[in-house]
Amino acid sequence: MKKNPEQEIDQSARFAFSFFVASAGLWLLAAALLAYIAAAKLTDPLFLSSLEFFTYGKIKVSQANAFVYGWGGNSIFAVSLWIIARLSQSLVRGSIFLIFAGAIWNLSITFGLLGILDGHMLGHELLEMPKQVWPALLVSYLIIAFIIFVVFRSRKQKVTIAPQWFIIAALIWFPCLFLFGWSGLELNPGRGTLQSILSIWFGQNVIWLWLTPVALGCAYYIIPSVLNRPIDKYYLAVFGFWCIAGLAPWSVVHHLEGGPVPMWVPAIGTVMSIAMVFPIAVASTNFHSTAFQDVSKVWNYLPLRFVIFGTLSYTISSYIGVIFSLPAVAKLTQFSIINEFHFNQRVYGFFSMIIFGIVYHILPQITGREIGTAAKNFHFWTSALGVFALLLAYLVGGLTHGVLGQQPSLAWATVIESVKPYFLITEYAFLILGFSQLVFVLNLWKVLVPNPFASSDRQANLKTA
Amino acid sequence: MNNIFKFSIYIFLTLSFAWLAFVVGATNQYGDLEPTAESLEEDGSIPPDAELFPKSMAGIAQLGAKEYLSLGCATCHTQQVRSEEAGFDVERGWGKRPSVPRDYILQEEVLLGHNRVGPDLANVGMREYSSEWLHKHLFMPQSVVEGSICQPSPFLYEENKEASVDSIEITNGETNIFIKPSLRANRIVAYLESLHQNYELPEIAFSDILEEDQSVEIASAVAEPETIATAFPSWLSEQMESGKEIYMKVGAGGGLCYTCHQINGQGIPGAFPPLTGSDWVLGDKERLIKLSIHGLMGEIEVNGEKYNGVMAGFGIQAGGPPLNDQQIADVLTYIRNDWGNSASAISPEEVASVRNSVKDRAPNQMWTAAELQSNSSPD
Repeated sequence: MKKNPEQEIDQSARFAFSFFVASAGLWLLAAALLAYIAAAKLTDPLFLSSLEFFTYGKIKVSQANAFVYGWGGNSIFAVSLWIIARLSQSLVRGSIFLIFAGAIWNLSITFGLLGILDGHMLGHELLEMPKQVWPALLVSYLIIAFIIFVVFRSRKQKVTIAPQWFIIAALIWFPCLFLFGWSGLELNPGRGTLQSILSIWFGQNVIWLWLTPVALGCAYYIIPSVLNRPIDKYYLAVFGFWCIAGLAPWSVVHHLEGGPVPMWVPAIGTVMSIAMVFPIAVASTNFHSTAFQDVSKVWNYLPLRFVIFGTLSYTISSYIGVIFSLPAVAKLTQFSIINEFHFNQRVYGFFSMIIFGIVYHILPQITGREIGTAAKNFHFWTSALGVFALLLAYLVGGLTHGVLGQQPSLAWATVIESVKPYFLITEYAFLILGFSQLVFVLNLWKVLVPNPFASSDRQANLKTA
Repeated sequence: MNNIFKFSIYIFLTLSFAWLAFVVGATNQYGDLEPTAESLEEDGSIPPDAELFPKSMAGIAQLGAKEYLSLGCATCHTQQVRSEEAGFDVERGWGKRPSVPRDYILQEEVLLGHNRVGPDLANVGMREYSSEWLHKHLFMPQSVVEGSICQPSPFLYEENKEASVDSIEITNGETNIFIKPSLRANRIVAYLESLHQNYELPEIAFSDILEEDQSVEIASAVAEPETIATAFPSWLSEQMESGKEIYMKVGAGGGLCYTCHQINGQGIPGAFPPLTGSDWVLGDKERLIKLSIHGLMGEIEVNGEKYNGVMAGFGIQAGGPPLNDQQIADVLTYIRNDWGNSASAISPEEVASVRNSVKDRAPNQMWTAAELQSNSSPD
């Protein structure tokens, strides 16, 4: 029986895709565990305190790195490989190099995180892993990105569409960001607070120009292809793309408001982040006016439900982010746990939810096996609940923290006392999220690595697939 | 958009413009900042003999910065006082003035931070915490600040049931334990104590907000810090503060005192004599100044115990450049007035006159206890 071209492409991408998704799942669990430990240490400072390996600062930092580079990196490789291959209608070649580079990537992150826990942290945001691991990370990244590029270059259709722009751009941005950041922070370190500007520029842009565009690209891919209707007002997408490309690198430095840096730096950041309402509005219009033409399908097809949850979360929280970048508001919330709200809404509420959706969409096509509906529903509802509780706690807690912290007559201990209940909620939220992700990863592994002793009709199923 | 090369170049450019603006723009603007005097001459030059700020950190504090970074303290603590339009940091008492870029140019690790789960630490060295308080806080924050969620670092200390010379007593419910700081703990405390922006710069003066409204209580996380300075008149507390810094400091401008006499001035039995309650410290000023300048060797009796060792002088030839009269006066005043000691202050003039009286003595000729005793007893 001759396979149709799509199945052939799936077949060629299967090995590498499975590898990346499987390792992404493990990193997700590692990050969930670290997130829970960190949250528990805030509610009970004596928890694990006698071990130097587990100081709060180290755990918190390694959680962010495990999440962004472990879970984020691997899942970015997986979904961009598959989406680019499908859209280019060309086969993935050199899977063995992908696996090889992926193994280096994962090993480097493992060593990097151990390095952080062992006390060799660098002081730059999301560049905290010790400097020895970065060359290996960069080389393995370039190998993977190069192979995806080769797939893209051999595309049948010369005209490109939105998901391709976002994903290819994200693949190019990350190494550029890294080299820019690295040159000013480690190779030829700037003096004084120049380092702080670059550090925040890099750390925020990794989220804005690496994780965000890939998730947006996934949404641009899955919504029209599942609903089988074109993106509404698609002509705006190109404007939205260039707005993000042009504004995001400038807007992120608004976090330095009032700090010991030249005044124009945060001022530009604020102006640019207000201008970010345009790309947010464009993406939101594109996604939601398309999706809401067929609400029942969105609701009933679980991967799409995940994705729309993610895009709604992106819209709402990005607008909230714009509000919090206004100087009058930043005065209150700048150094509060609102920062945790921003980070978690972006990586959990938006990026991860979309990746969950797209992985659920791809898995049956690539392996021929389906994860049970009950497990998927459990994953969706616990994730939604966990994300909602987490973000609400950080938002309300952050406002409390910020507003009370700005009352000079209130002792700092009193301020923290009133934030403590919110820390407790986040601990429970991370527990729920951890459970939810455990179910996801167990099922994922069960589908990717089938039990060789399974019953014969399932084996037969496998062969026909 | 369909040509991958053009597309790549465009998106590379959008990114690099922003990077160029921030890096090249900011470098251009303040990349060559240098330490300067608190106020400049009218023509913009630095007045001769003016003290320059910021000062570089002592070596031990620089090592402390690395420990601070590696433990992840920057996750919860910022080190920046925001400008007055951007927040109420000055009102809260987190600094006498907003931080400016020049404050950070000599720091190897710039740890501005962006989260304040704990208080800002840009001026923690200016607050009235004793190093003992800081050690207690580092060991078990909850023992000094009720309800603190700061993480304890017991792995930096050696715990004992019994008191030893340089141990710190901690009351933990019913029981008392004694902790002995490790080298790393001492580095971190030295770093914290060195963090302050207690000087004006040509571009920024001390804020007048606090003076306008004296009723604003400076709130900090401290229940009741033990103070070394509040009981003294301001000129004396300044001398005490500077003396303490010299006592703790390693390298240029430091006395290296604490390495032998310990942070609590108790010395080590059988090896290094205590400074607390010692007649050598509290008694005759001239004798104290003399041995400080040239050093002391041979047998000496302190508080009834006999010691036999060598103390290098720090007035003429120390490991680094010698201390000047003011610095010697400060550190001697400090040891005469901390840890329960109480004696009159020593002025730089007194040091100068003693220095003058012994100027014929060879720089490497240390005093012996007997020599000093016989010199001082006829008076």
